[in-house]
Formats: sequence, C-alpha cells, structure tokens
Amino acid sequence: MTEESPRWRRYLRFWRDDAVADVDEELRFHIESRVADLVALGMSPEHARREAVERFGNVDNIAQTLHVLSEEREHAMQRSEWMHSLAQDLRYAVRQLLKSPALALIAIVTIALGIGANSAIFSVVDAVLLRPLPYAHSDRLMYLSERWPGGRNGSVSIGNFAEWRARSRSFEAISASSGETVNLTGTGEPVRLFGARVTASFFRTGYMRPELGRYFLDEEDQPGAPHVVVLSHPLWTTRFAADPAIAGRGIELNGERYTVIGVTPKEYSLTPEDEQLWIPAAFTPAQLNEHDEHSLGVFGLLKPGVTPAAAQRELSAIEKDLHDRYPRTGTPTEAGVESLRGILVADYRTQLLVLVGAVGFVLLIACGNVANLLLARSASRQKEIAIRSALGAGRARIVRQLLTESLVLAVTGGAAGLVIAHFGIRFLVTMSPPGVPRLGEARLSGVVLAFTIVVTIGCGIVFGLVPALRAARADLQGTLKEGGKGSAMGSSRDRLRSVLVVAEVAVALVLLVGAGLLVRSAMLLQAVKPGFDPSGVLSFRVALPKERYGTPELARKGFDRILEQVTALPGARSAAVTSTAPFGGGGQNGLLVEGRAFDEKNIILGVLRMTTPRYFETMDVPVLRGRIFSDRDIAGNPKVMIINETLAKMAWPGGDPIGKRIACCEGGPNSEPSWKEVVGVVGDVRAWGLGGDIRPEFYLPIPQAPAASWNWINRAMTVVVRTAGDPASLIKPAQRAVWSVDPTLPLYQVGTLTEAMERTTASTRFNMMLLTMLGATGLVLAAVGIYGVIAYFVSQRTHEIGIRMALGASATSVQGMVVRQGALLAVTGVVIGLIASLALMRALATLLFGVTPRDPVTLLGVGALLAAVAIAASYVPARRATKVDPLSALRSG
Amino acid sequence: MAKPTVELLQGTLDVLILKTLSWRPMHGYGVTRWIQQTTDDVLKIEEGSMYPALYRMENRGLVKAEWGITENNRRAKYYRLTAAGRKRLAAEEETWSVFSAAVGKVLHAAAL
Repeated sequence: MTEESPRWRRYLRFWRDDAVADVDEELRFHIESRVADLVALGMSPEHARREAVERFGNVDNIAQTLHVLSEEREHAMQRSEWMHSLAQDLRYAVRQLLKSPALALIAIVTIALGIGANSAIFSVVDAVLLRPLPYAHSDRLMYLSERWPGGRNGSVSIGNFAEWRARSRSFEAISASSGETVNLTGTGEPVRLFGARVTASFFRTGYMRPELGRYFLDEEDQPGAPHVVVLSHPLWTTRFAADPAIAGRGIELNGERYTVIGVTPKEYSLTPEDEQLWIPAAFTPAQLNEHDEHSLGVFGLLKPGVTPAAAQRELSAIEKDLHDRYPRTGTPTEAGVESLRGILVADYRTQLLVLVGAVGFVLLIACGNVANLLLARSASRQKEIAIRSALGAGRARIVRQLLTESLVLAVTGGAAGLVIAHFGIRFLVTMSPPGVPRLGEARLSGVVLAFTIVVTIGCGIVFGLVPALRAARADLQGTLKEGGKGSAMGSSRDRLRSVLVVAEVAVALVLLVGAGLLVRSAMLLQAVKPGFDPSGVLSFRVALPKERYGTPELARKGFDRILEQVTALPGARSAAVTSTAPFGGGGQNGLLVEGRAFDEKNIILGVLRMTTPRYFETMDVPVLRGRIFSDRDIAGNPKVMIINETLAKMAWPGGDPIGKRIACCEGGPNSEPSWKEVVGVVGDVRAWGLGGDIRPEFYLPIPQAPAASWNWINRAMTVVVRTAGDPASLIKPAQRAVWSVDPTLPLYQVGTLTEAMERTTASTRFNMMLLTMLGATGLVLAAVGIYGVIAYFVSQRTHEIGIRMALGASATSVQGMVVRQGALLAVTGVVIGLIASLALMRALATLLFGVTPRDPVTLLGVGALLAAVAIAASYVPARRATKVDPLSALRSG
Repeated sequence: MAKPTVELLQGTLDVLILKTLSWRPMHGYGVTRWIQQTTDDVLKIEEGSMYPALYRMENRGLVKAEWGITENNRRAKYYRLTAAGRKRLAAEEETWSVFSAAVGKVLHAAAL
C-alpha cells in the first residue's frame, strides 16, 4: 500500500492537529461509504444521507469521544517513546562506562567521598541548626533575659519575672526555671540529680504531651503546697525501670517525700543542661519582691502574630518602670527577647557553617576532578561522537547522551555516598565534643535524602554539562579527517582543563589554610600550661542536703569528716576540699581594694574559691609570696585571703599585696565592709579551660567563709585527691570513704582533672580533626587533578616532545618543560587561593586560639606544601615524557 | 417487516470486532458491514459505537491502525489485530463458549 493521498492533505498535517484530522476523515469515510452503498441499492442521495447519519448515531458526540481517546494515545506514545530513549541512553551510558571501568571507578569514588561528606555534615546541621524544636508552636518560643551593659544576656530576678508575667500582653505564657540539684535516696545507691525549679507555666511555654501522667497545676506551684515532681524520660527509664505505674508513687529527694505526677517525653529539655527532674518553683511573697538577685531562666510563648521585637519593646518599657520603682546603683538592664532555638545553637552555628563550607569545597574539588576526567574521555571519544552526528544525531541528542552518562556516574556515586554518610554520621556523633544540642538526632532523614538527591543531580550537571557541550560542538569535518587523533579543538579544551585545575588548587588551598590554622590552634592550646598539675588528681563533688546540714557549722563539719576519711585512704598523697575545682566553673564576687572609693568602677569581679589549707599542695599551684592557709585561719581570728597573680597585679600594680586588705563577700553598701588581709599570692590557674581567659581569683579558708556562701553553693563542694598511681583506681575507695561518713551522700561529677582539662579543648581538637581530614581529602584530589591534566598534556604533546628530543633536547630539559607547566598551574592556583583565604578565614576567627586568621606562617607553609605536592604530581608524567621514543613519536604524528 | 433484533451484551462488541479483524485487516466501515451481513442484521448496533470501541482497543494495544487505500482508491484507516489482540480473542472465545454452553444447559434442561 503506497501513500497516494492528495498532496494537499499532507500539507494540511502541518497546520492542523494530526489526531483531529484523522478522526474527521475516518468518520467522513464511513458515512460516505454507507451513502454510496444505499444509493447503489436504489435510494435517493438525500434519503441515503439521512439514513446513513441516522444509522451512525450522534456524530458530534462520537467524534468528541474519539478526539479524547486519540489524544490519550498520543500522550502515552510520547511517554513511552521518552522512556524508551531514556532506557536506550542509560544502556548506552552504562556500556560506555564499563568500557573504561578504572575511570568510572575513580569518578564514582571521588563523587561518593564528596557527596558522603556533604550528606553527613548536612544531617548534623539539619539536626542541630535547622530542625524546629520538638515543642508545640516552637517557632513562637522565646528566651527572655535581662541584658547587662555590653549586651550579655543575663538571668532574670524573681521580682522582675513576676512583674513581666503580670503586666505583659505579648505572651500566651511566661515561665521561669532555675537550676537545682537534689540527692535522690531510698532507691539503690544515693545519686545526685540535676533538675530545675519551675513555675507551673513552664510546661505550657514549651509543651510536649507527657509520656505519662500530667504536669504541674497552678495550685501546686504555691508555697506550702504538697511536694510533687515531674521526672525526665531518661531518669524514669534508668532509675525507675520505666515503671508504668510511677505516677502517684512517692520518692525521696533531699530526704523529703515527693509524689511523682508525670514523666516528660524523651527529648524534653528546654535548657542545654538536660534536666532530670522538675519541682514547682512555689515562689514565696518575699521572693516575689526580690528585684536584685538574678537567677531565673525565663521562657515565653509569643501570642500568634506578635513579633519578638514588639514583645521586647513591651518588656523593656516594663523593665524601665521597674528600675524607676526599685532603684539600684549601676546601669539598668534591658529586656531581651530572642528565639530559644537561636540561643541554644548560637555556640555551634559558626562551627557548623565552617564545616558546611569545608565539605562544600571538597565537593567542588571532586566535581572539578570528575569534569576533568570526562573532558579527557570526551577528547578520546571525539571520533565516536563525530560519527554519531554524521549519522544524524542532533546536538541536543548528543548532549543528552553525554549528560546521561555523567548522571549515571553521579547517581552511582551519590548512592555510594549515602553509605559513606551513614557511617560518617555515626563517626561525627561519637567523636564530637560533648554538649552539642540534639546532635544525637542526626540521621539519614528524608530531608537529608532530598538534600543528597539535589546535590547529586547538581553535581552530575555541573561536571557533565561543560564536557558535553564541548564535545557536541566538535568540528565534525576536522575530526573525521584527522582520523580521530583528537586535537581538533585541543587548545580551548586545554584552557578549560587548566582553569579547572587552577580552581581546584585554589579551593584546596583555602581548605588547607583552614585546617592549618586549626592545627596551629590545637598545638598552641596543647602547649598552654594550666598553672597546676592535673595529672594524678581525682576530683568529685559531694552535696550536703539542707535538711540535715542546714547550718554552716554542720556543713563545715561534714566536709571536715569527709576530708579526714579521704586523706586517710591508702594511695592518697594529699587531699583538699574546695568550693569549685578548675574547669568546674565558679561564682564571682565584687572586690574592693582598701583605700579606693566605694564606687562601681573600682569594683573588681573576682572568682571565689573556698578551700582547705592543703588545696595548693594537692593541686600543685605554686605559692609566689606569703603563706598558705593554716589551722589558725578559723572563725574569730583575723580574716585572711589568698589571691592569684592576676588579681595582685590589678589591685596593686607594681606593689606588694602581702598585708594589704580587700573587702568582699559580706556586708552591703550600707554596712561596714568586711576586710580580709592578703596573706599569700599564688600562681594563675587556667581554670576556665586552656583556651579561656585568666580571671582575677581569690581563695578564702572554709572556716572563715561567709555564712551566706553555703547557700550560694548549695552546700556542694569538690574534693580533690592527688594520688601516687592511677587516680581512677581511687574512685571506689573514695565512695566508701564518703559513705562511711554519711551513706545517703551521692558522689557526682567524678573524674580525673586531666579528663576535665581535655574536655575544655575537645571542641578545638574536633574542629581540627575534621578540617584536617577534609583538607587532606582536598589535597589528594587536587594532586590527582594536576597529575591527570599534566599526563594529558604529555600525551597530547608526544609528537612535539619527540621532535624536541630528535633535535637533541636533553631528558632534563624535557622534564623541566613539563614540570614547569604543572608548576605554573599550581602557583596560579596557590596565589588565587591565598587571596581567597585572606578574605574567607575571618569566618574562623572565633574557633582559633593564639593565631590570627591571616597567620603568615600558616598561609605560606600551606602554600608551599600545596605547591610542592602539585609539582611532585606533575613530575610523574614528566618522567614518562622523557621515555618518549623520538622515532615512534614522529612516525605516529 | 419486523425482523427480531437483540441488544448487544456489554463488551460483546469488542469480541465481535476482534473476531472480524482476525480474518484480515479492515477499515471501520468494513467491520460494520461484515458484522451486519454475518448476523443477518439481527444485532442492533449503532454504527458510530464501533469507533470508540476500536480506539479503546487500539489504546490497549489489541489492534493497530494504519492508513491505507481502498479498492475504490480512497484513503481509509485500516485496523489489524496485534498479537495481544489475537490472544485476547482466544481467551474471549473460550469464555464465551463456556458461558453459552452453561446457559444453554439451563435453558434446555428437561423438566424433572
């Protein structure tokens, strides 16, 4: 059957929809045939036409139906055609990749590393920075503070909190919480628990459905109300075996009975400190009138539609009024309203963003390398592509084919990357410094998967598109004529490859400078002298419950007896009691040097440690002048203090502090200052971490401690023991020693001071380790990139090299020529990278210690390292160049 | 003159078309005429309803359509059975004979 329809109809096809025309023609044929048959039977033409239409039925309706049906078919055909050619492309791509399995494997591993690292870091960023807090309306959950001059968020006084709660209209609920530690007794070994006293509204500001029971009622948050407690999920499971009938049970806290009313769900913790239980605050009327003691963390749930800024304006107006009504010396505080999530993650934001940048750089280098590999391959495939386009493959078709290949690479690499990410996340979670909020929730979630898919496809397009466009633009005639030697468009391709390598080197340099700066920081940090000898010192804390150790006398005697028992332990060389040990925090007090006017600007804020006499010997803190405490420094005798070097220099610059006096800790503006005589000066201790500042610190003998100070520290003290051997071996004996004094006393924060010191540098070491790993990956990838490009150059110039050598060029000069080419690329990359580093390293400033972001030693050292590696990488192909046999090179040319 | 006619059972038209096309490729009008002649016009078919049936079967891959030329040198769309269509026809014939045998047994059963 040959096509012999009128010519015009074929043209019609161009203008009208195929399907519609076909349907109309088919139906017309039917009716006309019927008419012809009827006329042949003797019917008149008009009659026959009427009869034919009648027999046919509703022509318009049927035509309509057929249009729809043929349209459906059209779409289905297009779909299947598309799927078919996709399947074809995929099969072809896989075959092509299998032809050079080594190249495919290198590309896939490179991509997998890049994508795996990115997905792992992203999952951490998602868990810590991006995911909303698990509370109802967590986007409206604010942290409220009183801001001191200088912008620091401070705690809120009970009185001011009460006024905010009563007067502000911006919040659905405002709640307050203050840390509290209690001893849990009566169920197994006594244990010290960290919890909080909270207002009944606390669980309304950050609401999650209780795991069990209920939260506090308003009437339970009143002075004198029966004792109730809400337990955290971890405490309930570890200490009470997840008893489903715990609600209503009584437990013993600080020797008193509390009724458990509920258990929070697993992730519940509004503060970074993972409280284990909550007790109603039950503020007394006296507390509610206290406007000077700032101790509360305050949370607010904004009403819908109220902005944090509007709430802050309202609170600040109330705050100003409070300052007018309850005046006090000093600069007034302002109210601060910030999103709770922002506060929680503030410390980790920079760190994580730096990591995101670093893994992003690694991925860029990986993409650069793969693009270069593909460029090299498309060069060798020029002939194949030229033949395909000579056979009629359109440019778009060829680009699509090549893009399919790079997407196959990317997707395979991305899938392998997910496996790497899975282990990477576990690695990050175990290695990370303690205290990163919600890090444990990091996993390969749907968001991370989506991220990986987007990155994977992005990569496939980034490293595939440029080589694909290049290849498709290939000069057909030239390539075919050349017999596929593949130098038809060599020069522009070479330029592109060079640009890629220079960019890779530059990015690798930025990575390495970051890593270098952190390595230097960690080294400098490691070299810092702590000011005492932490090795061999065991430290643990003991808190005496108020109920049985209510007076200063009872508390002091309690610790005396504990110290006696611990000192007597075999293996203990020396022991002491101190209100806080280094790396354990500490409260500050205002100090006034005798002879200076009582004025705010003359007050020195100093860290108070109350200690027993042998503290300095136990910790090996050097005594610079004067004496340490003695048994005669007791209540009733002249009050004495020991100060650190920093405080000595601040108080009496250039003078001798011994015998001079400082007032502190007792009395107020209206009473006689409590003077204490400086009897000794001791060396500075890096008590706030090796990277922390040295603050002015002073020591008081425990027997002369102000009565109120026992409440400041909640009758909790640290015992430090210097041992001859392994301090950890003394943990059990120390426990028994304490229990021989009082079997209900738990030991907590038990550990060696070496461990405590290492914790203070954990975050720097973690950053260093990660960035070094990423930097090393970047370095290796960049070296591979340079090697690949130089090797390619050599292979392209075999002919030229052959001529040179035939004309008498020495092996050394040929080698030099090739290495110079590599060095030029490397040095260009290094220079660009150095300039970029100068601009970018500022982001690292807060993570560094002892070096500036523009540390010349690091910049130049890293630059030299990278240049050396690059030159070494081009040396390998350079040596191969000298092996060129002039004869065969010339012949093949 | 009133010949008795029967309404077509649902889905039966498809089987008739498939069977018709199993002899040779035909255009829509040819199929119509063939069925009418073979059944002596007993079946009451609205001729237009042939086409949606043909199109649906084409979409399902049971028949394939191609433009061709008639004996009278006119362009017409010819339908031909595909392998899938042949298989379907065999299955339908099997079902039909089982069904009609069963119905026949009931209708012709001798009273007990």
